[in-house]
Amino acid sequence: MITRILAGAALAALAAQTARAAEDPGEAAFRATYKELVETNTTLSSGSCTLAAQRMGAHLKAAGFTDDQITYYATPEHPREGGLVAILPGTSAKARPILLLAHLDVVEAKRADWTRDPFTLIEEGGYFWARGTFDDKAMASVWVDTLARLKAGKVKLRRTLKLALTCGEETSGAFNGARWLAQNKRDLIDAEFALNEGGGGRTDGKGLTEGGHIVAMSVQVGEKAAQDYRVEARNPGGHSSIPIKDNAIYELSDALIHLRDYEFPAELNDTTRAFFAKGGAVFGGPVGQAMQTVATAKPDSDAFKAAVALLDHDRSFHSTLRTTCVATMLDGGHATNALPQRAGAIVNCRIFPGHSFEEVRTTLQTVFADPRITVTTTEPDHPIAKAPPMDPQVIRPIETLTARYFPGVPLVPTMSTGATDGIYLEATGIPTYGVPGIWANPDLNGIHGLNEHLEVASLLKGRAFLYDLVQAYAR
Amino acid sequence: MIRLLMLAATLMAQPALPAPDAPTPDADKAAFRETYRTLVETDTTLAHGDCTLAAARMADVLRAAGFADDRLIPFAAPDHPREGGLVAVWPGRSTSLKPLLLVAHIDVVEARREDWPRDPFALTEQGGYFHARGAFDDKAHAAIFVDAMAHLARTHARPKRTIKLALTCGEETNGAFNGAQWLATNRRDLIDAAFALNEGGGGRTDGKAVGAGGKVIAQTIQVGEKTFANFRLETRNRGGHSSAPRPDNAIYQLAHALDRIEAYSFPVEFTPTTRAYFQTVGSARGDATGKAMLALAADPGDPTSPAFKAALWQVDTDAFLHANIRTTCIATMLDAGHAPNALPQRARATVNCRIFPGHSVEEIGHTLERVIGDPEVGVTALPPLRPSPPPPPLDPQVIDPARRLVAKYWPGVVLAPVMANGYTDATFLTAAGIPTYGVPGLWGDPDGNGVHGLDERIEVRSVLTGRTFLNDLIRAYAF
Repeated sequence: MITRILAGAALAALAAQTARAAEDPGEAAFRATYKELVETNTTLSSGSCTLAAQRMGAHLKAAGFTDDQITYYATPEHPREGGLVAILPGTSAKARPILLLAHLDVVEAKRADWTRDPFTLIEEGGYFWARGTFDDKAMASVWVDTLARLKAGKVKLRRTLKLALTCGEETSGAFNGARWLAQNKRDLIDAEFALNEGGGGRTDGKGLTEGGHIVAMSVQVGEKAAQDYRVEARNPGGHSSIPIKDNAIYELSDALIHLRDYEFPAELNDTTRAFFAKGGAVFGGPVGQAMQTVATAKPDSDAFKAAVALLDHDRSFHSTLRTTCVATMLDGGHATNALPQRAGAIVNCRIFPGHSFEEVRTTLQTVFADPRITVTTTEPDHPIAKAPPMDPQVIRPIETLTARYFPGVPLVPTMSTGATDGIYLEATGIPTYGVPGIWANPDLNGIHGLNEHLEVASLLKGRAFLYDLVQAYAR
Repeated sequence: MIRLLMLAATLMAQPALPAPDAPTPDADKAAFRETYRTLVETDTTLAHGDCTLAAARMADVLRAAGFADDRLIPFAAPDHPREGGLVAVWPGRSTSLKPLLLVAHIDVVEARREDWPRDPFALTEQGGYFHARGAFDDKAHAAIFVDAMAHLARTHARPKRTIKLALTCGEETNGAFNGAQWLATNRRDLIDAAFALNEGGGGRTDGKAVGAGGKVIAQTIQVGEKTFANFRLETRNRGGHSSAPRPDNAIYQLAHALDRIEAYSFPVEFTPTTRAYFQTVGSARGDATGKAMLALAADPGDPTSPAFKAALWQVDTDAFLHANIRTTCIATMLDAGHAPNALPQRARATVNCRIFPGHSVEEIGHTLERVIGDPEVGVTALPPLRPSPPPPPLDPQVIDPARRLVAKYWPGVVLAPVMANGYTDATFLTAAGIPTYGVPGLWGDPDGNGVHGLDERIEVRSVLTGRTFLNDLIRAYAF
């Protein structure tokens, strides 16, 4: 267990922290938990969240949790998409609980596309490699480890701590555990606020063990809404030996090229303005200057436009500044020797708060500029984003611990460009914050993509940081 | 079978005398009907049929007619025991003339009982039509050829040329075991011939059955066909989370490549056959498209001249003609991405090319690469790779007898030589040095007769008249 350091020179504190982490006797147990979770395939197509939840529940039980403190849940229609809720009771009858939230499921990973088996955890070059090493099994295993350590160490806490491990965060339209809990087990997960994925650090491009450093830590306060649109072209088809001029695949291709060339207008809200203002001061140089400019300049000014043009070179900034829509899937045709009767695409949009699903659908239809192309809003999976407040009792402990663990690194509030399960909790009145601690490189570490990885130091230091943060709230 | 009949839609009706009615009284007609019924009612689909059994039944017919066992050569590859066939050889007198090969495939396209109005493997005669899977494609030819061979044996015929029959399996299913290909590769001597008669040609009515007052308005002989190849286009990308799109995207890169292919048109070209087709059909039509066909078929002159361009524009308004004068490549399938919320790591399209004679699959692949102009887009030819032989010659010793007999059976109907946009087993035989021709004779209706589809059917008169026509044609070539 790491004792909290309340004062002292920042660098000395960091050194002390690192030394303690290295000596931490619980680290081996944590690594085992992490490895077991990562190596449990939890993809929708071939994995089982239910199995992963049972395995994590076994760790909690081994640490002393009683059966009535662990609730496994799964609906009969989705037996492999279950999860668990664990309760560690606090001493105060008045202080409201805190909910720790993480999702167990991961994005699909095809063995044929990966360099290594995506479901075998490899440690190489200072990084962990596997599907889920980052998203979100790092946080899930840290939460399990945190509760296990507090329980085993019989640490007295004022607030009750709750842990919810859920399934379905990655797959729009699949069974979503966080939504199911919010709708069916609201009392079980009731909390004053929740800690979730969505925040974190960002390096200068190199891992810390590769000589890089962390340029910023973020706490997520609010997020964009995610929505999929189905784009489709249809045609009577025919035999491919006699091609006709109209072709569903070509119509769809033309439409998607229009989409590629379209940009939604740049805009800001309170959270992103704070992000660019604080982040700009840190970044320095022309990019930092541009960040401060977008935070302050009039949106129609030349200075604003020039700054946006510069910031758009960065994928994260680009997405933070506007709604984005991108084609992610294609399908079409029914035989190699038949003209296609149908060609379709999924366009995944990340909608800036304040815009409706229908408004974006109309924009897409305009961008495609082809009345033969249909654009359909898929069944909305998420409520429209509602930003949680910048609550000092949540933000201040994060600031304090960030200053101690990452001296000199600024903490910036961010609006997440991705959608998380926080959106369901917020819809039922549980403000949800994406906590910092774990860091990534600017290339986003292959999250959702190929060869996902996480720096070993990021996971271990993040674990220590989050353990302290939970205690700071709960004691 | 390729749908050749529809191309004849470009022909305008010539004044045609009524076709000669049923042939002269024929004692063998009942035996022929029995052979046809036996063959049609033997299920030869790839899924649950048996070509080997059908071939054995046809061998029985020939044996009963007097074929010695050593002139009946059944064949089947050991790993495809139900996809066998038969070669039958009837010797000729001449030592200098090369044999004539009759080739027909005995496999049929799948047919599901629940989709059909009647059992697809029971031959029904109704309203002047035979109905069943295979009644047209290609068991009409196969049964006529078996019957013609049986007739040789029964009459102890002494033709000049040796006449050979090859019944094969696998024509309908691209990628399955193909009997014609197997014979060309493994038993080339057995099927050696001066030339071969195959499916691919034929006639077309004006829309009404001849028995119901309609007319045969066109007959074609197929001389050459396009070959085909499927190419896979593939783009790859690092992908990542869709909440932060990156400037490069596998789907957009593929879409761009497809746009380039859409905009590209392969150069216009002719073979002697297509030139003859454009001349024959162009003058028969007489409309704006007919005039344009004649203009293109005349010495092409300068392809950049306004007159050539205008003629080409007119001809290209007809989808069949457009594809008959160039290689075409068209996107038929799309597939990309692995999750709606992840940037695509891979995007793929299948491009189906119908390759004009004289161009290799490899050459077309290089053209696609050049047209796409993006080395990051992978272009791969997918198996099975078919040969791309030069077309058979417009040989007068083949064409003239067919033309004379068409004039006799269907006075006033023009015989047009045609290159098919689709393909048959002729590709394999022609590539093995046996020029293969799709014979005229059997006619269909403009609706396509349900070939490859539901309720396949052929007019009874088409089969019976076609039988006597083809017997006469075989005599003209071999006697």
